[in-house]
Amino acid sequence: MTEEKKDRREFLVKVGVGAGVVGICTQAAASLRSLLPNVSYDAPTTVKLGAPAEFPDGMKFLPEQRLFVFREGKVFHAVSAVCTHLGCTVRAEALPQPETMEVGGAPMRVTHRFACPCHGSKYTGDGKVVSGPAPKPLAWYHLTVSTDDGQLVVDLAQEVGRDFRLTLA
Amino acid sequence: MATAAKTPPTEAQSAPGVHPKPFWSFKPRSDRESGDAIVANFALHWFPAKVFKPSLDWSYSFWLGTISAALLLLLTVSGLPLLFLYVPSVERAYLSVKDIEWVVTFGSWIRSVHRLSAHLMVAAVFLHLVRVFLTGAYKNGAGRGQHREWNWVLGVVMLVLTLFLSFTGYLLPWDQLAFWAVTVGTNIAASIPWVGPRVRELMIGGRAIEQATLIRFYVLHVIFLPGLLGGLFAYHMWRIRKDGGLARVDRVATLREKAAEPPSPTKTYTLLGVARGTAPTVRAASLEARDLTVNSMPDLVRRAAVAVLGTFAVISVLASLIRSPLEEAANPLVTPNPAKAPWYFLWLQEIVTDTTFTVAGFTVNGAFLGGVILPGLILLLLTAWPWLDRSPADATGVWFARSRRRQNLVFLLAVLVVVVLTIVGTFLRGPSWQLFWPWEVWPELPTRI
Repeated sequence: MTEEKKDRREFLVKVGVGAGVVGICTQAAASLRSLLPNVSYDAPTTVKLGAPAEFPDGMKFLPEQRLFVFREGKVFHAVSAVCTHLGCTVRAEALPQPETMEVGGAPMRVTHRFACPCHGSKYTGDGKVVSGPAPKPLAWYHLTVSTDDGQLVVDLAQEVGRDFRLTLA
Repeated sequence: MATAAKTPPTEAQSAPGVHPKPFWSFKPRSDRESGDAIVANFALHWFPAKVFKPSLDWSYSFWLGTISAALLLLLTVSGLPLLFLYVPSVERAYLSVKDIEWVVTFGSWIRSVHRLSAHLMVAAVFLHLVRVFLTGAYKNGAGRGQHREWNWVLGVVMLVLTLFLSFTGYLLPWDQLAFWAVTVGTNIAASIPWVGPRVRELMIGGRAIEQATLIRFYVLHVIFLPGLLGGLFAYHMWRIRKDGGLARVDRVATLREKAAEPPSPTKTYTLLGVARGTAPTVRAASLEARDLTVNSMPDLVRRAAVAVLGTFAVISVLASLIRSPLEEAANPLVTPNPAKAPWYFLWLQEIVTDTTFTVAGFTVNGAFLGGVILPGLILLLLTAWPWLDRSPADATGVWFARSRRRQNLVFLLAVLVVVVLTIVGTFLRGPSWQLFWPWEVWPELPTRI
């Protein structure tokens, strides 16, 4: 076999092997990519919670949204029940005596505190971490009043600061 | 083999290597018959024809690898009827497991066999690893061309696969226990900075634990992971043969070498047609130390049968005594209190509870440190250990070799920490992850608010 022919044969072998490797890698990538979901049929993040009058003074737990809604007269705010450590639902424990503490720069009457059943994180009534492995305070979510029927609406995609208050007229 | 010199005329008519009779003898009368019973037998051909007697000692290996393999077999077999009965859909999974538990004849027993085998397999594989470490069995001894360190690495991978198999099976009943264990487990993955949420999304096939999660865990549990584990198991066995048998063989071979006996004839596997050339030149200790060598049939086969059938028997009896728990159907709205991971992950759950810390105003989630970094480091260290261990070759295949005393102590200490944390997590943690003594009564807490 001449050198030229030998070169050509080696080249063709390399092309063949290369094409095979590329082909297999592409197929593997396609198979793996199909496992990454393109659509997530999540529950809607904006949820109507009911008329403000249905909320008692103090706290109401909404299990479907994993949310605590607090009411003090005409003032509302909502705190997430999802523990920031590993996502368990925290439990509310009523304080023996309501306390007044400074929350987001304004005094607030606090009636509960929170404890996580999974790894024992403890939070104050406004969601600050007291002890345990939780790395962040509980999230606060934006509340509005629906313009069409006056229901309370939470936006679970919009976290707000702890100075957030929804005051009804 | 001297005694096999005279071949009976009937055997001469069959093709070489093929046993002339459809059945083989469990009580061979000659070395030839004994060798035939292994080599010509599909079920046994992966055994050597002759084994080193001290390798068979109950007190050397405790046969933990064989027991693990027996449990894997039992899991496969008991999984088959469950495959016919279980429906991997969020609407029906719980009800189908409930049917298996309460309606199907012997269903509860089959499920119990499967569940107990899974739990015991985690324990057996872990103990096997402990045994291999303490005997320095990942070390290369007298034979040339040995790569025992790779079999150790394979073993570490198989331990991880066993844990994943167990964990994926945990979700399938779709009860409260399953749902919240998987919530916690996948949120640990989500705690990785930057890519965490994407990793979790890939694991559970979306943003919530839903149908996509169930089918993913199901396919991993029934096809992907068992297939992978089965393949690695075969490779693990093959490597033992290539490395010249259990590490204990080398121990004796080294001792003999020291005694400066005249070199005896060596054998390569070419004689058995297993490998061509002289590549895996394992100095056949079976030829060097005839007095310590026995035929695999019946000595090895008998002991393997005792280990395997004994495992089956123990599991069968335990399964008729211990029922498998089935809690309420999965309810994403209510977290049970306490919510615990499977027991073999509780040492990690203990660690993730205590590893959140803040540096310069930046808080690191304990889940990342204790749930990702620490187990990752442990696995890395385990994998690399054969290359870090610089003890001499004569520490191969000996329990608590003097030259490996320090590393054995450190290893045992680490094992002790894991065991203690597991016990604390299993028995001493009550509601809200508070410590309780076993005899203390847990306070009554409302399950709903």
